[in-house]
Amino acid sequence: MVIAPDFDTAPAISFEHVWKTYPNGTDALRDVCLSVPQGDFLFLVGPSGAGKSSLVRLLIREELPTRGRLVVHGHELGAMRRRRLPRFRRTIGTVFQDFKLLPRLTVEENVMFALRVLGRSSRAIALQSAGALETVGLHGMGRKYPCELSGGEQQRVAIARALVHRPRLIVADEPTGNLDPVTAWEIMQLLLGINADGATVVMATHNRDIVDLVRRRVVAIERGCVVRDDRPGRYHVDLAEPAVRP
Amino acid sequence: MWIWRNLLFALDSAWQNFWRNAAVSMAAVLSIMLILLLAGASLLLGHALGQVLDTYRQRVSVLTISVADDTPLPAVYDFADQLRARPGVVSVRFVTKEEELQRFSADPRNQQLLEQLEGNPVPAKLEVRVARLDEIGRVDALARQWRGVDHSDPTDYQGDFVGNMQRLQTWLTIAGLGLLVVLTVASVVIVMNTIRTAVYHRRQEIEVMKLVGATEWFVRGPFVVEGIITGLIAAGLALGILVVTYRPFVQTFQSALFFVPLTYDPRFVRVLGQDLLLGGTLLGALGSYIGVRRFVRL
Repeated sequence: MVIAPDFDTAPAISFEHVWKTYPNGTDALRDVCLSVPQGDFLFLVGPSGAGKSSLVRLLIREELPTRGRLVVHGHELGAMRRRRLPRFRRTIGTVFQDFKLLPRLTVEENVMFALRVLGRSSRAIALQSAGALETVGLHGMGRKYPCELSGGEQQRVAIARALVHRPRLIVADEPTGNLDPVTAWEIMQLLLGINADGATVVMATHNRDIVDLVRRRVVAIERGCVVRDDRPGRYHVDLAEPAVRP
Repeated sequence: MWIWRNLLFALDSAWQNFWRNAAVSMAAVLSIMLILLLAGASLLLGHALGQVLDTYRQRVSVLTISVADDTPLPAVYDFADQLRARPGVVSVRFVTKEEELQRFSADPRNQQLLEQLEGNPVPAKLEVRVARLDEIGRVDALARQWRGVDHSDPTDYQGDFVGNMQRLQTWLTIAGLGLLVVLTVASVVIVMNTIRTAVYHRRQEIEVMKLVGATEWFVRGPFVVEGIITGLIAAGLALGILVVTYRPFVQTFQSALFFVPLTYDPRFVRVLGQDLLLGGTLLGALGSYIGVRRFVRL
């Protein structure tokens, strides 16, 4: 099931003339304006070094905008105090190309870790993490260590950890980058399922096949600028189509 | 409940990480132990010197004023009252000529002298005990101006000795404080670098913690606890070594330098234990806090 994005309420994410300039003078993002409604599924595409990862780092507030306003779930990230950051990050689930699993912990412990940080009770932690592992199809594999799993399975664990605290936004940076096409498609199905449950998903990717197959909103970035915003979109635009959607 | 769970997590995580990076942890424990050993040894030495100085201080903090034979008794009492009224004076005792003669004749070395002299040759005395050594010079000056003093031998004031003792005490205090500052800075730097290494080893875990919404204190807590564990173990080891070697050291010292009044003080071992354990805990906590504050930010 695909749910329609909620255009009526305030957007989940709003970039208003956002610039990101690094100390060496490089403009990673230039005057980015973007609005993502709650429940939307958005692909970020573009060549390497275009600014996709900078945009993702701004979204999870690992970096601050140099200029402009970035509002996520009503919080202006540039003005957010450091002590409010943990609460904000608990509304986001993050998935990365390199999984970022803790090798010394079992699959179950990796997922539980996200809840332990929140100070939940042992019973709630056990129940929620078992549920998350079931959602990603890893039921019964909780006692294995990440090194015993395939790449696809490790990414499933990362997704289980990202969704176990029921976030409203999933930010995925190249989640299928290290996976074969079949596994990548399975991961994609999981992310689509999470979106169908109501979470907004922003996914930076180079995977042309998936973008073209799924046919969701596509935002293309080149040299730090948004050059295309199509709904539904494709990885590459035909020359006949307009370059930038108004 | 939530705080209790976080505390348990910090304790569990710190203990695991202490042993996981056992080589680095033990290097830190040994370095801090050596520093605390040095600090403990200087505390013990300071205490021993304090004991010796106290003994000498007890001796020189009493000034004896000789009273001239022709001084009327009311004038002696008036002067004694005048001395008692001074803020630094603890007590004033009048020793009559007869009392002083008894004391003088009790010393066998004076027997020959007494046989050659007729009557009572020793003067009456006023024994003035002061609280602080710097007061004794002022009492001496006052006594020398008093009319009733025996001008041939007014007081037994040893200005040079008192001055030297006061100077020695001041220098010892300054040296002790200087050593304390150096040792504190060294321990904090060692703990800080150990925690920095631990932070580097666990950078991936810290990154994940931050991403899933851990607070700064949730991330920092285990490191601070790890620093405290390091400090406590180091303090325990240093204390053990000092307790075992304290008594033999005093015994050796007593047999080698019998004229210095140094004694074994079991009560000080408890004070030393408290100081070292508290010092180890605080140094561990401070070093790790500075370490994580610098390197773990959300």
